[in-house]
Amino acid sequence: MLIYNYLLSGWRNINHNKLFSSINILGLAIGLAAVTLITLFVRSELSYDTFWKNADTLHRSHIVFKIPGRDPFKAVSAPGPLIHALKKDYPQVTQASRVASISPAIIVGAETFIQPVSLVDKDFLTMFDLTSLSGDLSNALNDPHSLILTKELAVKYFGQEDPIGKTLSLDYDYFKRDYKITAVIENSVSNTQLPIKALALIDENDWTDRTSLFAQWFSVNAQLYFQTKKPSDLDHINATFDDFSNRNFPKLPIGGADAKPSDFITLSAMNIKDLHLHAVGSGEMTERGNATRVFIFSAIALLILIIAIINFMNLSTARASQRSKEVSLRKVMGASRSNLIFQFLGESVLVTFIALAISIGLVEIALPFYNEVLNKELVINYASTDMLQITGLALIVGILGGLYPAFVLSNFRPATVLKANKSAESSASVKLRAILVVMQFAVSIGLFISTAVVYSQMQYADKMNPGFNKDNMLLVHRIGLDVVSEKLDMLVKEIGKDPQVTAITWSNETPGNTNQNNTMIRLPGMSKDDALLMGQRGVGYDFFATYEIKVLAGRTYQKERNDTPLATAQIREGANRKSSIVINSSAARRLGFNSASDALGQSIFTSRGNPNENLEAELEIIGVVDDVHFESLRATIRPEIYNLNATWGHTLSARFNGNPDTLKANVEAIWGNAIANIPFSYSFLRQDVADMYKTEQGQAKMFAAFSGLAIFIACLGLYGLANFTATRRTKEIGIRKVMGASVFDIVKLLLWQFSKPVIIANIIAWPIAYWAMSDWLQLFVYRIDNSYILLLSAIAGIGALIIAWVTVTTNSVSVAKANPIKALRYE
Amino acid sequence: MLKIQNLSKSYRTENVETTALNNIDIEINKGEFIAIMGPSGCGKSTLLNTIGMLDSPTSGHYWFNDEDVANYSEAKLANIRKHNIGFIFQSFNLIDELTVRENIELALLYHNIPSAERKERVEKVMQQVGISHRANHMPSQLSGGQQQRVAVARAVVGDQSMILADEPTGNLDTQHGHEVMEMLQELNANGKTIVMVTHSPAHAEFATRTITLLDGQVVEPALKAVS
Repeated sequence: MLIYNYLLSGWRNINHNKLFSSINILGLAIGLAAVTLITLFVRSELSYDTFWKNADTLHRSHIVFKIPGRDPFKAVSAPGPLIHALKKDYPQVTQASRVASISPAIIVGAETFIQPVSLVDKDFLTMFDLTSLSGDLSNALNDPHSLILTKELAVKYFGQEDPIGKTLSLDYDYFKRDYKITAVIENSVSNTQLPIKALALIDENDWTDRTSLFAQWFSVNAQLYFQTKKPSDLDHINATFDDFSNRNFPKLPIGGADAKPSDFITLSAMNIKDLHLHAVGSGEMTERGNATRVFIFSAIALLILIIAIINFMNLSTARASQRSKEVSLRKVMGASRSNLIFQFLGESVLVTFIALAISIGLVEIALPFYNEVLNKELVINYASTDMLQITGLALIVGILGGLYPAFVLSNFRPATVLKANKSAESSASVKLRAILVVMQFAVSIGLFISTAVVYSQMQYADKMNPGFNKDNMLLVHRIGLDVVSEKLDMLVKEIGKDPQVTAITWSNETPGNTNQNNTMIRLPGMSKDDALLMGQRGVGYDFFATYEIKVLAGRTYQKERNDTPLATAQIREGANRKSSIVINSSAARRLGFNSASDALGQSIFTSRGNPNENLEAELEIIGVVDDVHFESLRATIRPEIYNLNATWGHTLSARFNGNPDTLKANVEAIWGNAIANIPFSYSFLRQDVADMYKTEQGQAKMFAAFSGLAIFIACLGLYGLANFTATRRTKEIGIRKVMGASVFDIVKLLLWQFSKPVIIANIIAWPIAYWAMSDWLQLFVYRIDNSYILLLSAIAGIGALIIAWVTVTTNSVSVAKANPIKALRYE
Repeated sequence: MLKIQNLSKSYRTENVETTALNNIDIEINKGEFIAIMGPSGCGKSTLLNTIGMLDSPTSGHYWFNDEDVANYSEAKLANIRKHNIGFIFQSFNLIDELTVRENIELALLYHNIPSAERKERVEKVMQQVGISHRANHMPSQLSGGQQQRVAVARAVVGDQSMILADEPTGNLDTQHGHEVMEMLQELNANGKTIVMVTHSPAHAEFATRTITLLDGQVVEPALKAVS
């Protein structure tokens, strides 16, 4: 009966104070929804590769090349021969497999698909517990003619037919081979750094002319996974990797006679479960997460939760004095303090559960957008323990939020309260409320500043002149495949005929789509040990003109002037011909030239062929071009040389004007006519460049959304509080008005009361945000100035103040306008 | 000082219209001490609030210092009120969060008076009502009689010519009530016009004239002979 009475009184209270209840419930619902969304994200990030049966003993090796005078080159892939040395030198290593992701043309009957295939060593199938849907996995990769497909690809290639025993051919461009399907496995899950779609065996004999893939110590093109006897073996391996490197790596062509490989190379290994969040370096098969990001978003979730709980507490205690009469009467009627605590806690839990129901609705509405921004497939699994966890969270929030108000309310002394005309509220609870409001705003303002800084850096990256014109450029990919490159001339001519196309070129790399290809460069008279390592890229004729890259001195490659590349084979034959080279201004500086024009006509020597061949080509510098951001602003521009690729490249670039879609359609038609079997693949340069900042952009969006929510919840609380305070102060306002205060005087008074906490919150938030965001900006070599943070802080502070004013003004004005006699009537 | 003619005030609540004042004619001269009496609900407070310009009449005229203020806007009324009328309430209506000194100063705060002059005037008036020794106390630390003295001080510190008192002794015991009445009488002797609502015939005796209201009408309009 008592419980019924409590519920009834609770429900009526919710119902009676519609404004307070909606603010309370809405604030909590948004808070819970935000926390649920972030939790889904964080949980997914932490779950990567934890599901493998051998997860504790599976590791991947990583490598860092420390190049003097350059940013170190970090890769999550490993030199091809490392696998053999690892198995030989470490008895702890029981199994190992390389994983090379290669995209051959897959020919099934008359159809051709381009699809990454994972080439692995035989141990792979015993290291990783793949789920077979048909076929026997233990015998599935016994020879280099076997292929394992996921269900997804099997259905794509063979429809509903049984794929086992069927054949298809893979054209690696370098060689072509028929494969027989030996097994079909379950589709790869999304929470793995090892997304497998098709598996074939590595046979090093296939790749003898392309040694960079599996045979060179200084090329890293395949990942290397290995399994140890026990998890702790990883520490031993990491501790002894330097000695291992010195035993196994060939001597490097830099650093002089005394140099050891470990001076320039650092190997390390990491457990598979840590890869997604902690690995560093290029060569990943799928996008990695970021431990900092997970930490930041967990923190944001916690902060939003705290804000929501604070709101809840604030509004409840604020309303406490209004309920003091009920409390006192219940006490007079014999209610004990614990009765009352129980009643009020129950009420707050009731409110929380209403909020919970709304929050689940909000999460379901938000999930599609959220998944799009994060590029994930997060869902609430209602049948699992998810529901239990969410309910538990709500219960904790309800109890935490209700605890303090329950104690305050139940502590009223009936005698004092019933005497009336005395504020039942202690000054301690008024102070606590002020502190909580300050905290809410400090958090909101901090989040707001962070969002603004992230966004500004994105804008900066977008607006910054990268050294080339990224607009109106269509890129056509896969022109490096043999079947295409033999028709490159014709393609260039045909596409060039399109009236929309103003310039056309080809190259190995395009901005946003680059490799770490390096070569040793020395000046005449410089010893080979002192040679400098520089980046190199291959470009076609008209590359610089098409990309609108500024030529600082000299000229670039021209077909008309008979610029031709110098093939390594020609040097091997001893031709010793001199060729020409274009370099960037960083390279000119690194080589010691005072100006771009000083470099013109000078010769440099570059190493060619395999390291042991000791071949060099002599190149005359014919042009120096401006430094260009091929990579994101996180990387320093490296000194680099541009080799001429007269007849070959990976990507064709066409500068155009007018409608991009018409051009794309036209180029696709030209491609379709000329190249039968390879699907057309294109992109726009602007998008490629933007994609380099995809992570930051997603982060910025999430930041913006959640800080917006935090501010919104804080304002809800402020609104409720302002409303409450104004009501509580009606008597004071009435007196002031009778004394001659105008409406404006009163509004001013109330605004100032609510400006104080916001101003104090600014003072707290600014230094913290400044410290955190200047630290974040360090990630970018090219970044906005730190003084921007101050500017954005000022904007955030003023913004928060204005939002607070707008929030409290409406009801302040109405209270200020009210006729004072209403407030001053006798009791 | 003020003249009220044909003045009515009615309140509408949904479909019931309550007439609080019905065609009232009153004239009050400068320097008078008026007591308004009558049973509960007869319209005493409404009349006082109307005189004090806290409430506007439904119809009729109200000349205050020869200005018909019956249809003035709230802001205009506030301005006249501020310069001419001080208030004393039954429940004192002091602001709990302000000290005695600050509560009194409040009456000068909205008058553009320099701080030093404000201080001086507050000190003076506190001495007049004998509350100086409590200047830094909070209202809750004072007795009812002391609180009402603060309220009186607040009503006179602005030097307004008229004081409206709404049952100023209603919450006080006999002795303190008497003190307050003496204070009012002294103010009246010094030239203030005073209009007071009271239930107590004894306190009405302090006034120079009594107006009795019944059901919104003046039942004893005749001037009481000044003896």
